[in-house]
Amino acid sequence: MKPADKRAYDKDYANAKKTGKPFFPYAIFKDTIIAGLTVVSIIVLAIVVKVEVGEPVNPATTDFVPRPEWYFYFAFELLKIFANQDVLTPVIMATFMVPNIMIILLVVWPFIDRGPERRIWKRPFAMGLVVIVTGMLCYLTYLGAQTPAGVAKGGLPVSGLDEEATKGMAVYIANGCGSCHMVAGVGAPGPGPDLTNEGAKGWDNAKMVAWLKAPKAPMPSYASLSPADLEALATFVNGLGTKYK
Amino acid sequence: MTTKDIGPKNAVQKGAEGTIDYVDERTGVKTGTRWFLFRNIPAGTSWFQTLGFTAMVVFGMQAITGIILAMYYVPDTRGGAYESIQRITEEVTWGWLVRGMHKWGASVMIIIVFLHMARVFIWGAYKYPRELTWVTGAMLLLLTMFMGLTGYLLVWDQKAYWATVVAVNIFASAPIVGPYIGDILRAGPEFGPSTLSRFYSIHMLVIPAGIATFIGLHLYFIVRLGISEPPWSKRRLRIERDEEDARRKAARERAKELPGAVNYPATWPAKAEEAAR
Ligand code: HEC
Ligand code: HEM
Repeated sequence: MKPADKRAYDKDYANAKKTGKPFFPYAIFKDTIIAGLTVVSIIVLAIVVKVEVGEPVNPATTDFVPRPEWYFYFAFELLKIFANQDVLTPVIMATFMVPNIMIILLVVWPFIDRGPERRIWKRPFAMGLVVIVTGMLCYLTYLGAQTPAGVAKGGLPVSGLDEEATKGMAVYIANGCGSCHMVAGVGAPGPGPDLTNEGAKGWDNAKMVAWLKAPKAPMPSYASLSPADLEALATFVNGLGTKYK
Repeated sequence: MTTKDIGPKNAVQKGAEGTIDYVDERTGVKTGTRWFLFRNIPAGTSWFQTLGFTAMVVFGMQAITGIILAMYYVPDTRGGAYESIQRITEEVTWGWLVRGMHKWGASVMIIIVFLHMARVFIWGAYKYPRELTWVTGAMLLLLTMFMGLTGYLLVWDQKAYWATVVAVNIFASAPIVGPYIGDILRAGPEFGPSTLSRFYSIHMLVIPAGIATFIGLHLYFIVRLGISEPPWSKRRLRIERDEEDARRKAARERAKELPGAVNYPATWPAKAEEAAR
């Protein structure tokens, strides 16, 4: 804003104040109504949709899809979108670049948009931005809410399993690997890579067990599984696409 | 500054007024409160301008319900955290309600803060002189999200545990600083007992202190600069109409002053308008 614009605004605002109304009771009246309604709705929600106590923590199993609270769904979905593309080291894009650019833009926005115009219909660019960003956040949150709850509960369409691999598949299903990985089209399309052909990489079981114990984030560590389960899981995953199809 | 009584006053009233005057002489609260409450704001402030206050009230509610929960909660992973949540939900009188309000309050607060921000953005209320009000507000948004992240784990059930594992891993996958952030949040490479107490202390001491500080700054700016006027307030619309009229009038005058320029295209709109009158 140019100094002249600033002075014009100050003068205009001083006028608005002079012809205005006192904060109490005019603003306080509306504030109290809306805040009161909000608190009442929270109490009603708390009464109608009662909180539950879930199952106690057991780091060794996840029999459901691990996913964050709804207000982080958008970050999780971003991760999935970028995870399957190998350009620009995807995970970095999703978890670092995109959110940080958004946060920085959020903080410095008033120093970017400094024009004196405040009328809504005269700021099409800013309004377009509101619609796009809000729409995107809503859509990503909606996608996050859509992720099927129990991915691959009934087993995976993989044949040729021996005893060890059958056990490994059970461990795979019980631990929610399917919420981040896909095998033969079953499971979530990200953020982890498709494991249908994982066997083709030719890892041995020791290497796979080491990975499962200390994987790269965002994949969680499975170090708390029993050694037998880890071994079975490694056998299963290492045979995908080669022995078990 | 003692009150000048007309007729007798009862002793209680006199005592109360005396006390208030005594405190006011030393602190200025009475003057300050009066200045705060009866300062003018632009006429025609809108219902959309109640959202910031509402966010503040919900934060206050979260603080109160949170303090009550903290009276019963035990941040111990080896038998304690989960059990104390169970006790709050199933045994403590009204415990389920307090926990329910705290849980719903968290989601509602995020929605309200987002709507408040949308209102400020759409109105251009972040423009001069309110840029720093916006910056403190942005900090409040981030802190509120962090509140949600650190609070969710405390329930210590399967869903909460895995949700937080995934959320922390999202942070940890950032380059360079990511692994360090992960280690700091987890208090080590793995989720465990220290993770829970760390989250507990961040959730109930560090972030609330941050939010309270930034709300203080935010309010200071708002009171100092005044709340902005709706861009479509009656007063603004009148000014814009007057400006528009003045502009047209000037154009008409100019058209008249150009005798030979009857067919000068720039004057046509003004002429047409005149003819239409
Ligand atoms: C929270 C989501 C998530 C869960 C749950 C998860 N993973 Fe992963 N996984 C990932 C991501 C993301 C990667 C890619 C990491 C990288 O390379 O940076 C990955 C990589 C892998 C890889 C290496 C793939 C390759 O080709 O490089 C294997 C093998 C693997 N996961 C197996 C598993 C198994 C088995 C489980 C269940 C016990 C599991 N994952 C659970 C997210 C997840
Ligand atoms: C905990 C969160 C927050 C609280 C408690 C809060 C509180 C308030 C209050 C009480 C007001 C007075 C006017 C109104 O109610 O609309 C206000 C105005 C304002 N807020 Fe916030 N706010 C929060 C978050 C934010 C965020 C996230 C932003 C933007 C990034 C923001 C930017 C502003 C600005 C620029 C104003 C001045 C608007 C004007 O003068 O019209 N606030 N806030």
